[in-house]
Amino acid sequence: MGHYRLLAHTADMGLEAWGESRAELFVQAALALREVIIGQATVRETRHLAFTLSGGDDAELLVNWLAELLFHFECRHFVPAGFILEFSDTQLHARVRGEDFDPERHPVEREVKAVTHHQVLVEKTPEGWHGRLYLDL
Amino acid sequence: MSVKIEQIDACRWRIPREGDMRTEGLVFADRAMIEVLRKEQALEQVRNVATLPGIVGPSIAMPDIHWGYGFPIGGVAAFDPDQGGVVSPGGVGYDINCGVRLLRSELEASDVRPRLKELADALFHNVPSGVGSHRRDLKLSVQEERKVLRDGARWAVRNGFGRAEDLEHIEEGGALPDADPEVVSDRALERGRDQLGTLGSGNHFLEVQVVEEIEDAQAAAVLGLFAGQVTVSIHTGSRGLGYQVCDDFIRVMLRAAAKYGIALPDRQLCCAPLTSPEGRQYLAAMAGAANFAFANRQLITHWVRETFEQVLGQGPARLRIGLIYDVCHNIAKWEQHEVGGRKRRLCVHRKGATRAFPPRHPETPALYRDIGQPVLIPGDMGRYSYVLVGTPAAFGETFGSTCHGAGRVLSRQAAKKQARGQNTEAELAARGILVRAANRATVAEEIPEAYKDVREVVGIVARAGIGRIVARLRPLAVIKG
Repeated sequence: MGHYRLLAHTADMGLEAWGESRAELFVQAALALREVIIGQATVRETRHLAFTLSGGDDAELLVNWLAELLFHFECRHFVPAGFILEFSDTQLHARVRGEDFDPERHPVEREVKAVTHHQVLVEKTPEGWHGRLYLDL
Repeated sequence: MSVKIEQIDACRWRIPREGDMRTEGLVFADRAMIEVLRKEQALEQVRNVATLPGIVGPSIAMPDIHWGYGFPIGGVAAFDPDQGGVVSPGGVGYDINCGVRLLRSELEASDVRPRLKELADALFHNVPSGVGSHRRDLKLSVQEERKVLRDGARWAVRNGFGRAEDLEHIEEGGALPDADPEVVSDRALERGRDQLGTLGSGNHFLEVQVVEEIEDAQAAAVLGLFAGQVTVSIHTGSRGLGYQVCDDFIRVMLRAAAKYGIALPDRQLCCAPLTSPEGRQYLAAMAGAANFAFANRQLITHWVRETFEQVLGQGPARLRIGLIYDVCHNIAKWEQHEVGGRKRRLCVHRKGATRAFPPRHPETPALYRDIGQPVLIPGDMGRYSYVLVGTPAAFGETFGSTCHGAGRVLSRQAAKKQARGQNTEAELAARGILVRAANRATVAEEIPEAYKDVREVVGIVARAGIGRIVARLRPLAVIKG
């Protein structure tokens, strides 16, 4: 089963995620980012968005994936809840369900400035997929 | 990986050149700070910066150094374009031109104390803070936003936010030259549009303060500071626009570093030669974001003035809320420095470090010619902040740079854990400090204990001679995001 945890950093915060597949790892990382921003708030699925991203490797793709979700949260007020992810070569095709940001139901705990490339890691291990990255708060 | 470090004197340490380092590291710190630094990755980051092409002089770290991304926070590094020198978005940081400005007034603490609660509430209401908050009466078109990027604080003054004389007391006159809005992405413009004139969240703040102690009476008199006086500090930057510019150009620089054959010990150090198209475009976009930040602090200044007038029922002539100075602490700039007996045009990166130019430098404002450029060092919300001035020693040794703040010692999770079970707002209120925050999580993560005592940081800077202490300010009311 996929899971994630938040990592301590002196000034900011990191996240580490695991999944049986690459897609599951990416989903867990997205849920970790959501927790950093709005905590454990419940998010409904009332609308969706779809996009395709590319990256030089899996690590860059993971950064770009979370950066894309952050952009949609901040500028388009979209809070994600459900994910269908497919990979092809260096691309990620994402269909994300979620809802409009509602400050009453999704109280913001932290502002995330950016998803950094600092020590970003995506690796396939005998137990499954593992990834790590740091957020600038 | 442990980093070799040698003590030079009571406040200087050297990381000797070895391996692929092109120069040595120079860290300003005392022994206790070095022991703490050994446990995290900041010293390794000082060493990594020393491997970048075209670095001139040492890879420098200030006493508020802590673990950053790529470059450490508290890092200073200069690069020579004639020696293949590079520019790195990670050497500036996501919050381009995050900075501090300090306003003076004719008020004494006793004038505002009876109305402090009202003043804190009104500032919290009038200056948007926290995620998603913005003034309804400020709507920017894309064309207008591009003008902000080109003209910075000048745009703000031209549109009625503040006074022409404010511009004389902002680093670079409130607008970096060579900003090109055309190289800023649509996404960056979109992220910034609703965020001009907003404080943001995290460590950003607006503080009403009282001058608690004057250490240098002559310099304080020139700055217009006196004991017991009310001042206001504003700490914020380029908001989402700057974050997105950095993000966009890190992607560009990852490709560029490979293209120009630059080996990277950490991806976040990605960079391109200063003379390359990628390097020039980043500097033009960064200047635009920096100008957005200057305009941001200028708008907030205007609303602070309006709020004081409303709450205290006094006019601008009586309150005389003037701008002492506005400094950047996340920036890369072209500057003239003498290295090896020769004047050179260098690109100086300051990431969590403040420019601290000496008396009589052409960039030091005319009014401050004899004392040096003011340097503003915020501490935490429970203790104090400092006003310093730049020195000739800083100009000679650190490319005219000094520290920028206290620096965190506790992670956000650790701070939150420590804040649990304590009522931070009530405890601060009991000490005469009112806190207004958009959310409680911010207050928990920003508790005073999460930061180093800024007095220790500033003490090292003063002992090392790379800054001169003028005054200490204590918070009366703190507005957080």
